[in-house]
Amino acid sequence: MSWQVDVLEFAQKCVYCGYCSVCPTYKELKWENYHPRGIIDQIKLYFTEGTKDDLQKDVSKSLFEAIFACTMCKACENICIVDLPLLKIWEQVRQEAFKRGRWNPQLLSLYNKAKDTHNIYGLPAEERLSWAGMVGMNLARRTLKKAPLAYFVGCQASYSGKMIDIPASVVTILRKSKVPFTVLGNEEWCCGSPIFLAGGYSVGKTFAKHNLEQLKKLGVKRIVTACSGCYRAFKVVYPRILGEKWDIEVLHITELTKELLENKKLKIKNKISEKITFKDPCELVRHCGLSEPLRDVIEKIPNVRFEELPSNRDDALCCGGGGLLKLNNAELVKEVNDRLMTEIEFTEADIVTNGCPTCLDTIQYGAKQRGLEIEVIDVSELIKRLVEDKK
Amino acid sequence: MTLRKKARNKFVKHLGKQFRDDKTLLQVYSRDMAELPSTTKLLIRNIPDGIILPRNIKDIQQAYKVANETKVPLIPRSAGTSGFGGSIPYKKGVILDGKGLESDIIVEPFDQSVLVSPSMVFSELQRYLKMQGVSLCVFPSSYYSATLGGFIAHGGYGVGSAQYGGAIDQILAIEVVLPNVELVNYTEREDIELIVGSNGTLGLITKVQLKIKFDIPLKHRGCTFDSPKELEDGLKVLASINPYSIWILNPKHVAEMNDAFGFTLPNRYVVLISKEVSFEEEESDFHASFNQAIRDGGGQILDKRYTDKIWDIRYKTFTMIKDYQDFLVSELILPIEKSGKYLQKLASEFNGQLHFEGEVINNSHFSLLLFLYFDEKLTPLKKTIINLKLYKTVMKGKKVGGFPYSTGLWFSGYYSKIFGKEQYKRYKELKKKVDPKNISNPGKVISPRVRIFPLITFKFALKIASWLIR
Ligand SMILES: Cc1cc2nc3c(=O)[nH]c(=O)nc-3n(C[C@H](O)[C@H](O)[C@H](O)COP(=O)(O)OP(=O)(O)OC[C@H]3O[C@@H](n4cnc5c(N)ncnc54)[C@H](O)[C@@H]3O)c2cc1C
Ligand code: SF4
Ligand code: SF4
Repeated sequence: MSWQVDVLEFAQKCVYCGYCSVCPTYKELKWENYHPRGIIDQIKLYFTEGTKDDLQKDVSKSLFEAIFACTMCKACENICIVDLPLLKIWEQVRQEAFKRGRWNPQLLSLYNKAKDTHNIYGLPAEERLSWAGMVGMNLARRTLKKAPLAYFVGCQASYSGKMIDIPASVVTILRKSKVPFTVLGNEEWCCGSPIFLAGGYSVGKTFAKHNLEQLKKLGVKRIVTACSGCYRAFKVVYPRILGEKWDIEVLHITELTKELLENKKLKIKNKISEKITFKDPCELVRHCGLSEPLRDVIEKIPNVRFEELPSNRDDALCCGGGGLLKLNNAELVKEVNDRLMTEIEFTEADIVTNGCPTCLDTIQYGAKQRGLEIEVIDVSELIKRLVEDKK
Repeated sequence: MTLRKKARNKFVKHLGKQFRDDKTLLQVYSRDMAELPSTTKLLIRNIPDGIILPRNIKDIQQAYKVANETKVPLIPRSAGTSGFGGSIPYKKGVILDGKGLESDIIVEPFDQSVLVSPSMVFSELQRYLKMQGVSLCVFPSSYYSATLGGFIAHGGYGVGSAQYGGAIDQILAIEVVLPNVELVNYTEREDIELIVGSNGTLGLITKVQLKIKFDIPLKHRGCTFDSPKELEDGLKVLASINPYSIWILNPKHVAEMNDAFGFTLPNRYVVLISKEVSFEEEESDFHASFNQAIRDGGGQILDKRYTDKIWDIRYKTFTMIKDYQDFLVSELILPIEKSGKYLQKLASEFNGQLHFEGEVINNSHFSLLLFLYFDEKLTPLKKTIINLKLYKTVMKGKKVGGFPYSTGLWFSGYYSKIFGKEQYKRYKELKKKVDPKNISNPGKVISPRVRIFPLITFKFALKIASWLIR
């Protein structure tokens, strides 16, 4: 299916079953204009010629407000009884909002920063690898070198101090396994995920082209990432916009770990005695259908104490952080997150792990708010603890 | 006509931000599952004047107080998934959206009950209950979207009704804000039954205590029948083995299912029988009684490899609509006895294009959900005409003792057919007492007068119109 869809045609196919009321933000806001079904109704009004002027004005306000209250968690699309491509529809409505100058200032600022600096923080490209220095790693021999595998670090792991354990863990895992790999360093551009989620198709496409070019130059055949946003971009969006040119195999760190354990290139050396639970990131499980590799890895831990969250795999609750919601309605993020935190608390786990920096951030915040004594770590950190040599 | 300024001010004053009347929102709330063709706009003023999202009982009482003072109708609504017009305005007014209500879930495993807000969606409550090892007894097939409140207020049945009955049989207690703002908690069946099926005409349900049970696994068997008469005979016997659910599909529906889900079911009437089974002996008893029932009632046993697959799509049959441009549905309840005759007639109506699924709701009756799919988007006029024909088809069910599934707007005037004359009398007495100004959901249950021909009722107008259609 191409990038653009006929939103009105699809909207007219909605059968009003209401199954999409699973929407995490609608559950909090409760007015039906935030219900995915209600958004569909507004799309019909907005795109149908002949809607009266005064109504049209009100519709655009209401529709754009609702579309930016969405976390892009894809729960609606996955449950839609007639398989409407709701995410594509939502992205297109966000594009329409851009065209009409209806993005909010924070969103616009992120977009402009990313456009100019190729990362979502607006920081210099030279600082992409600063995290390595901070954790005492030297990646000079790995940067922009020919290798079959590239580690795509992603903006959050590269620039956010809070995420520093993620790249440090991934590199430790890769080094342990002795697989040759490269990183793109200054030439790594944002994967484009936030830009696509905001509805910025053409800028996102230049990012995709650039990253592909760099990977090709280095002879990369496989790419690994620990970020579910990057993973989704490579797995779902790049093939859509680059077509067959995008022939690089995409792996999440959990998939690669599973493979390395099976090939005996990695070995579980340590036990984890704490009780673990796992939050499936929406972008992995619902967008990309990836849920089992981490569970397979966890299963291999001797005497592991693992408990699933009550809502897991396809039914996983959204953490509230997706779809750039923070930029549009930070309060709503907290409300959505609260439901997830209740489930996390229910498991009485000591460690909650996940495969997405955004989830990590929102869960850490939620745990702090509740005063939960729970460690919130990325899966790469968990895997590192399993395979590293004891100091 | 929008709300008079004075009335609007009152709503705003008492409900603050919980009252909204922005134009788009009003449009969004103007429909339920059955989209109104534009031709009906003359008769039905379905765009509300405002929406109230009450957070608590006080908000609801304020809403009814203002509504009574200003004579503005209040229309209770939950998920809007019912297709009987119950949750849309008939003559404008303000929607009272029950989904704003939130409450804790209190499970009493020893009493086998759960106390919960009616705004809860079935699937969500069930997920919570399953975590505690217990389960609801009955689910509508709109499991993922319907709320408890809407299900009770429209008097629904569902999966599990064969064993556990309908909405009425699930309720131990029900709390309601009556239109006269009184908060009542009914625990006696004779009171509860007036709320069930009242379609919001007796106020807003604010809490329910429901029966629950242990979460017992189900085993499924299937069989097929060649003709409506054979189906009737088979159902009589199958209903007597006390199954959890009996699901019936007509050949046309089966064919659609084969296409949509890649099944290879035989082109006959297919019946899926499900039974709660806790241990092995129970399972073999089930198989034995099922096999015996087939021997007694006729029919062919369906290959077991199909049965789990059919069960898996219990809540997904609307998926079949996806390959079509338009659709219409209607529903009625039929006695098993004599159903063959009616179903035989159905097979020849609409050029054989009608398909249906049925759910046995007790020893003697089953509900029948009729579908028509179209390859083209229907024009409003065509939609109206076919809808009227469908209405007429449902009404023909009366000849064999059938009756409409629920009243809502479309079948307003049929309350006594559904619940009996004695209950209708009690319903009317209560309605008169608690809602003398007919504030709560006017036009529903009791058939309203037609705006442009006030001498006739909506029920009568529909009847005439449907009989004029050939
Ligand atoms: C795919 C699908 C399958 C379905 N399967 C079934 C089925 O198996 N069985 C079945 O019975 N129905 C079924 N339905 C119809 C519908 O889903 C159910 O009737 C559902 O229970 C209605 O719940 P709701 O929350 O959507 O209520 P709504 O549609 O919002 O309201 C229904 C009626 O209840 C009133 N009401 C709503 N909330 C309250 C309240 N809190 N207090 C007082 N009155 C209130 C409204 O005024 C209205 O008259 C199905 C619908 C779909 C789309
Ligand atoms: S993607 Fe998630 S947040 Fe967005 S409308 Fe769908 S269910 Fe709601
Ligand atoms: S689940 Fe799909 S068909 Fe059903 S109401 Fe939502 S968008 Fe419409």
